Amino acid sequence: MNEMEVPKIYSIKKTDKETLKKWFYLMTLGRLIDDKAPNYLKQAIGWSYHAPYAGHDGIQLAVGQHFEKNKDHIFLYYREMLTAMSCGLTAEEIILNGISKATEPSGAGRHMSNHFAKPEWNIHTVSSSTGNHTLHAVGVARAIKYYGEKAVAISGQGESSVSEGYVYEAFNGADKEQLPVIFVIQDNGYGISVPKKDQTANRKVANNFSGFKNTRIIHCNGKDVFDSMNAMAEAKRFALEESKPVLLQANCVRMHSHSNSDDHLLYRNQLERNYVMDYDPLAKFGRMLIKYNRFTEEELLEIEDSAKVELKAAHKAALSAPDPAPESIYDFVFPEAYHSEKYPDGLHNEEGEKKKLITGLNETLKAEFRHNPDTFIWGQDMANKDKGGIFNVSKGLQQEFGKKRVFNAPIAEDFIMGTANGMSRYNDKIRVVVEGAEFADYFWPAMEQYVDTSHDYWRSNGKFSPNIVIRLASGGYIGGGMYHSQNIEGSLAAIPGVRIVYPSFADDAAGLLRTAIRSRGLTMFMEPKALYQDPKAATVIPDDFEVPFGKARIRKEGSDLTLLTYGNTTHLSIEAANRIQKEGGNVEVIDLRSLIPLDEETILKSIQKTNKVLIVHEDKVFGGFGGELSAIITEKAFKFLDAPIKRVGSPFTPVGFNRILERAILPNVDRIYTAAKELLEY
Amino acid sequence: MSKTVIIYSFHTQKSKKVAEKVIEVFGEEDIKAINAEELTAKDFEENNNFILSAPTWFDGELPNYWDEFVPELEEMDLKDKTFAVFGLGDQKGYPENFCDAIGILVGILEHCGAKIIGKIPAEGYTFESSKAQRGDIFVGLPLDQENQGRLTNDRVSNWVAQLKEEMK
Repeated sequence: MNEMEVPKIYSIKKTDKETLKKWFYLMTLGRLIDDKAPNYLKQAIGWSYHAPYAGHDGIQLAVGQHFEKNKDHIFLYYREMLTAMSCGLTAEEIILNGISKATEPSGAGRHMSNHFAKPEWNIHTVSSSTGNHTLHAVGVARAIKYYGEKAVAISGQGESSVSEGYVYEAFNGADKEQLPVIFVIQDNGYGISVPKKDQTANRKVANNFSGFKNTRIIHCNGKDVFDSMNAMAEAKRFALEESKPVLLQANCVRMHSHSNSDDHLLYRNQLERNYVMDYDPLAKFGRMLIKYNRFTEEELLEIEDSAKVELKAAHKAALSAPDPAPESIYDFVFPEAYHSEKYPDGLHNEEGEKKKLITGLNETLKAEFRHNPDTFIWGQDMANKDKGGIFNVSKGLQQEFGKKRVFNAPIAEDFIMGTANGMSRYNDKIRVVVEGAEFADYFWPAMEQYVDTSHDYWRSNGKFSPNIVIRLASGGYIGGGMYHSQNIEGSLAAIPGVRIVYPSFADDAAGLLRTAIRSRGLTMFMEPKALYQDPKAATVIPDDFEVPFGKARIRKEGSDLTLLTYGNTTHLSIEAANRIQKEGGNVEVIDLRSLIPLDEETILKSIQKTNKVLIVHEDKVFGGFGGELSAIITEKAFKFLDAPIKRVGSPFTPVGFNRILERAILPNVDRIYTAAKELLEY
Repeated sequence: MSKTVIIYSFHTQKSKKVAEKVIEVFGEEDIKAINAEELTAKDFEENNNFILSAPTWFDGELPNYWDEFVPELEEMDLKDKTFAVFGLGDQKGYPENFCDAIGILVGILEHCGAKIIGKIPAEGYTFESSKAQRGDIFVGLPLDQENQGRLTNDRVSNWVAQLKEEMK
């Protein structure tokens, strides 16, 4: 599907004069700002990161001219100032972004300059990681297709980005799902200083993907306005009419250094620099306008003059705009959580038949899918006949809700996570649940998207909330060895912007899942897989149960020692506490349920009563979440402590496969009992 | 018979050097040089025999001076006019697009009814693909100063001799 004709809709002879004038004005104004941007840094006003676009003028004009705001969705990379302007951003908005003012449209100066966005128009907030947003474009294109809208998603990126594995995942997914997404690869031959030959063997990097069945590859001269306009028009027509992806590779030149922290004199010789300067797309366009008698030199000078006037006014207005306030840093870390009227503390007294933890999850998922028709779930092993999820947590969902809401994903964890982010950009009603990986152990490839998604709400100054629940089967005690036993919450808790919950009983699992799905924002939902079928974790579950975030649950009241725990070790801790009870000791067991946000109030209140703390979790003691708990308690409740804070968890090793090794590593009742007894003797 | 015209960019270095070699072999008195960057339709109207320099830029593009002339060129009637095209390329650095510009320009000229001469057997080069190649022949003279610079003089001499024969 690679060599189909690109119709010549636009040409120097046929395109009307008003259109040519608009283009020349935009290109001139854009270049004036592109050239002026480094001065803001020299004058210490800002814009410390500027990646000049000069040399990409043709394709960037063309992409923006084909973007329909509030309908299409676009993701600009950091070299796309002209695309942003061609999409409709004003010179003032560009400068506001450059100098990071509170009124700049991408996120009030929170994100690096040159990352242009305006989420309210569907010009989405993007990461600095090259090609990261390809997955978001695929995700939002999935929503476009699902909701039957005639629109496209556009991803702008450099040619080096195709070296990234997740970019392959995006191309593959868009091809498989036949999505209306245009990947515009702006090829200037360099990834900072790394030449294309060090990235891949094929200079026409898009051709690396020529084996994809449904993807059209188009090449164009990104330095030429007309070739770019025609290529982009055809790309959009194809994506819209065929609902299939396009890889549009535009050959550009990078006329300057990568950015103002780079110096291309270190790696490009004079001959090469002259060569690329010779093909200045703006100069070429101007020459053609005169050569073909479309404009006189005087007319072009007039246009240039009016662009200078606009720039001067924009500069003045931007300089006087307010800076962000330092106290605003805590705004938009988390979007609003669902508020429970009926279960404000996440407790109930329902009686009746006990249900297993897996049943609680399964029934809650189904109930939430009935409750909100804009809820979706995907992941590995999600749905194939009677199989529903790696552990059958989602069994029966596809049968009830169909293949468009419940479906398998390729073995590509970053794709699973990244398209969840992308799909939730379509509108705020959408709720996405993903099985982030087969096991928590396999979530690491998704970390790049996880970190980026954790930034979105803050980075956009509250303009975009990724409404996603990531479910992960976590922890050990199943004889699974080091790739089926990991607890990753300690590592993840270091990343702001994500709620992390880790229930240990069926009712809490159901209640927290309901809250997570109904809330805005990103929730990491850890499922202790050893407890899915365990009668110990089975409870009565009210049909409408809700557990708010940040509400711990006292599983056993006591006065001599506070035992803080969550997940698998809750049950071991209760057992140890019961053994001590028989010996006359009185241990209070607090099941945290939520790690972020943390119920500090319940923890500190208990410590004031018991004056001793034992922290128990399955994860490693070193670097585990218990270290953070310990630090908080030391800081806020030191005066109440009569003994050192003790921690029980795994040693600083992976989890061994042989059951003898597993038992030697994972915490057990005896170790908890022994540690508790030591503390009680203080 | 009017003079043969050679059109190349006076602004270039390598292409200019090769063009001067063509002129030297052709005989300065028999050929007139025109700067491709100042080319007008009149230059085409007033002459009948042309030698064009079309180096390949980037990953298989015409140089900007030819690209800017294409909208004018493609509407010309070039019946009864004869063209020969040579161009620089890089077989090793850009093997997928070796001397594509020759093929692109020849395609446009043919579309305008021009007669193309100076085709040579596609032998002695190592590359992956080229728009200048059709079957076993090149539709012009590919030259590679980067990798086969030593062969250029002979290639130019042989080619010019061939042109003189074909122009008779």
